[in-house]
Amino acid sequence: MNVREIPSLRSQLAVLAALLILLAASAGLSRLPLGWWGLVISTSIAIGQALLVLVVFMRLKSANPVLRLVAVLSFAWPLILVTLTLGDYLTRSLMHAPW
Amino acid sequence: MNVPVPEAALQQQFDDPPQQREAAMLGMWSFIATEVLFFGVLFAAYIICRWRFPLPFVEGSAHTDFAMGTAETAILLTSGCLSAIALRQIQLDRARQSAVLLAITAALGAAFLVLHGMEYHDEFEEGLIPGLRYTQAGPGANAMELFFSLYNVITGFHSLHVLIGVVLLLVMAARSWRGAFSSAYHTPIEIAGLYWSLVDIVWIFVYPAMYLVGSAG
Repeated sequence: MNVREIPSLRSQLAVLAALLILLAASAGLSRLPLGWWGLVISTSIAIGQALLVLVVFMRLKSANPVLRLVAVLSFAWPLILVTLTLGDYLTRSLMHAPW
Repeated sequence: MNVPVPEAALQQQFDDPPQQREAAMLGMWSFIATEVLFFGVLFAAYIICRWRFPLPFVEGSAHTDFAMGTAETAILLTSGCLSAIALRQIQLDRARQSAVLLAITAALGAAFLVLHGMEYHDEFEEGLIPGLRYTQAGPGANAMELFFSLYNVITGFHSLHVLIGVVLLLVMAARSWRGAFSSAYHTPIEIAGLYWSLVDIVWIFVYPAMYLVGSAG
């Protein structure tokens, strides 16, 4: 294992600080009556936090391209699942039996 | 420092340690992909139900313990960082430090389980556990039951993953303390760390979905 691949302690602690600040922001903003914007903000913050964990703590930043591809695909499939399912639910009207 | 890979650590089907490590990492990421799909289906169900019944979901979320959920999130995020640092320390051949960090990570995981167990207890007392004790009544009670079904299934499976992770981390801590790992061979610690980060990521999405929807009051 190459020594250059080992992340600095400072970088790991900086990411933890960023994660906790984002958590505080998410918790604080959720107390405000923002309606659907609250959902957009909290989801965006969660995606940001997940990316930090994936890239830094799970070391995707320095990982083999194959691992990065598997990582991207592992999140892409559920995204396709949700998008197509919602596409169905949002566009289909309730059809009543004709009898 | 050039520490040799223990004989027993290199399995016969691999040519050399790097090949074994890469195979193990790919296997773990494939496993993570299946786990993301598993929780992805549950989140898809949550999104559809929340779209169909927005107000009962806000009301249901208002029944969850906001402070406890926030504390649990902070605990898991901190533990994720400690497991990442434990991997760094073993790469620097500091096996004992790595072992201590892994043990602290496991302890934080156990603390998470205790806090969440207290939440389940309070929810049981309040009659918010569908199938066991659900005593809510009123116009949105049935749709709110959907929220609590999803809440219990998602957080229940997540807690099961945390429990498995705690055991895994304790085993890794013990092995690291006994000197089973070094800068040359530490793939099991890396894999346990990936698993723990997955547990972290799932909770990062559970927290806003379950605890923050109804917190604006």
